[in-house]
Amino acid sequence: MTFSVAAPPAVAVELFGVPRLLAAQRHVVVAGRTLGEVAGALAGACPALLGPVLDPGTGWLVDGYIFVAGERFSRDPGRVLGEGASVLLVSSVAGG
Amino acid sequence: MHGTHGRFLRVDLTERSVAAEAIPDTVFAGLIGGIGLASWLLVRHCPPGADPLGPENPLVFASSPFVGTGVTTASKIAVAAKSPQTGVIGDSLSSSYLAIALKRTGFDALVVTGRAATPTVLVVDDGRVSYRPANDLLGLAPERVAETLRAELGGGFRVAAIGVAGERGVRYAAIANDGRLAGRTGSGAVMGSKGLKAIAIRGSRLPAVADPKGLAAAARDLAGRSRGPATAKYREVGTAANLAFFDRIGVLPTRNFQSGHFAQAEAIGGETLLLEHGTDKHGCAACTVGCEHHYRTRDGNGGPETDARLEYETLFALGSLCGVGDPNDVLRAAARCDDLGMDAISAGATIAWAMECRERGVDLGSPMDEVPAFGDGPAVLRALDAIGARTGIGDLLAEGSRRAAEIVGQGSDAWAMHVKGLELPGYDPRKLQTLALGLAVGTRGACHNRSSAYEVDLSDRLDPDAEATMRATAAAAAEDQAAILDSLTLCKFLRHAFADLPAEAAALHSLVTGSPTTADDLLRSGERITNLKKGFNIAQGWTRTDDTLPPRVLSATPEAPTDLSRPWLDQMIAAYYGVRGWAADGTIPLAHSARIGLSGLVE
Ligand code: SF4
Repeated sequence: MTFSVAAPPAVAVELFGVPRLLAAQRHVVVAGRTLGEVAGALAGACPALLGPVLDPGTGWLVDGYIFVAGERFSRDPGRVLGEGASVLLVSSVAGG
Repeated sequence: MHGTHGRFLRVDLTERSVAAEAIPDTVFAGLIGGIGLASWLLVRHCPPGADPLGPENPLVFASSPFVGTGVTTASKIAVAAKSPQTGVIGDSLSSSYLAIALKRTGFDALVVTGRAATPTVLVVDDGRVSYRPANDLLGLAPERVAETLRAELGGGFRVAAIGVAGERGVRYAAIANDGRLAGRTGSGAVMGSKGLKAIAIRGSRLPAVADPKGLAAAARDLAGRSRGPATAKYREVGTAANLAFFDRIGVLPTRNFQSGHFAQAEAIGGETLLLEHGTDKHGCAACTVGCEHHYRTRDGNGGPETDARLEYETLFALGSLCGVGDPNDVLRAAARCDDLGMDAISAGATIAWAMECRERGVDLGSPMDEVPAFGDGPAVLRALDAIGARTGIGDLLAEGSRRAAEIVGQGSDAWAMHVKGLELPGYDPRKLQTLALGLAVGTRGACHNRSSAYEVDLSDRLDPDAEATMRATAAAAAEDQAAILDSLTLCKFLRHAFADLPAEAAALHSLVTGSPTTADDLLRSGERITNLKKGFNIAQGWTRTDDTLPPRVLSATPEAPTDLSRPWLDQMIAAYYGVRGWAADGTIPLAHSARIGLSGLVE
């Protein structure tokens, strides 16, 4: 018997503020079905985020950062993303 | 009470009289200090119906128990007067050394009434008052005034000054000190109406705090946290970081709120500005965060460039709101607002209103070439100069968008983007419903600093479909938290450095004052302060119809969809009054005033 496992979908992550400056890019495309997987993939794609933005131990966001997915703000690593999702990574300290 | 002197200095410029008056401990216990204290002094000294530009309008400067204690970011001074822009309470905060200088005079606050016969500098030296003629300072930018006075009087003096805008009565003129502004609601025009070009303050007596050792340890701990991820955005990029993100989610006010997206947002975004125009970074006195980013124009072709301090609010108001996408133009305009001494938000928003008038063919009573068009950066600069000098079209625009629209008519009030006469900040309320409520009911008008309700909208803490009472509760809590921080004179940029803000701030308060303070005490003070300010407004003629939003944001257009409508806004406002314990018409029942411990403080 053979199984075929679908590759995780590509997710376009747009970076704002400190994440953008650290990564020195505005967009990154990574693979992930959930926000948790996206965060993990981001760590590989942009190692400069490890520490200031992504926890090196868990691979998840440190306090102070949040994703926006489908117009919803979320710090839920289990949040499932749809096909062709676009995700924003931004400081959770809103406004000025 | 430790951390306070328990008295304020009252100066009447007409009589040239000076008096020291007591501030009971109950006032500090109930209203904390800062904005709470300034509001209390305003309520006591401003008669109902006072002309905001008349001698009877008091101009209040207040410190707080935290000023001068070394608690990070706490060096802020509160300024209050009846606003010439709104006709209701005008309260603002400005950071830095002036607050410490005032506290060192042996007084917690300064109340200035009357009107000087000729342009004057008020000098307060350790509580002794003298006057200096100011004729030679007229026309100077606030920074030059401060340099002149400090060179003459001594470097120990700190100076609050107005620019040309304050001298000429621009209704949104600011008071400047140490490169910072008490920016909104026109306190600079009040100061100018008193013939006061500047106030120079020096002192040598700080009050003792109750537990110096305990406070030093707690302050060190907080300072450590202030350097962590909770403030990274402000430290590393500054508030300008908001712009590109706000554009992306469609809440960046653009072309006078005709859209939430700006095509040139990336060109003037905080990240781009930092990389291409950033020069250095500063902090206010006694601040371990240091969020103030400085920039320089880069189009001088070897000639002189302009240096500017820029916050998000300045950036949106002189940038996307006016359709200006050249960062050099925005930086020059920001620097010009500082030199003229005026609030960049109201200046930009009033110019944006005029731009739309031009677009719609509305006659502003000036030659068309004086009226700037959307996107014309150099024309914005010319308009700012005209406003400061009140020449040509500037005389109309110096009135602010509400009054200008009333003068011009022709339906132009439909796109005058203000609440109670105060122009909207850089958050499009169409998609930020809790903030929309906060802006509508705000005591000083449309202000993101007094109602930081945008924070729940831009978070995962509130369901996007939340009903009216949940939004009302969140808006009231955000308003009260702002009142607490503004009265402790702690910077709002520090708020996420606290794990439990009310509890930790209460612990600091106990160490400073020696008066055991709980989180609940502070929360009740926040509520009391909001009610105090609302009570002032009611006494000055506020009515239910003043709590509203510009009609533009209540109906959708193809370019600007909205989650708001008139019935929904009214429903949220009714829920907010309910949460506050107010009557259905928004007035404060006497029994409520007594229940929250306010009536005893204002009788
Ligand atoms: S965080 Fe910024 S605004 Fe606040 S006190 Fe520090 S430098 Fe001033």
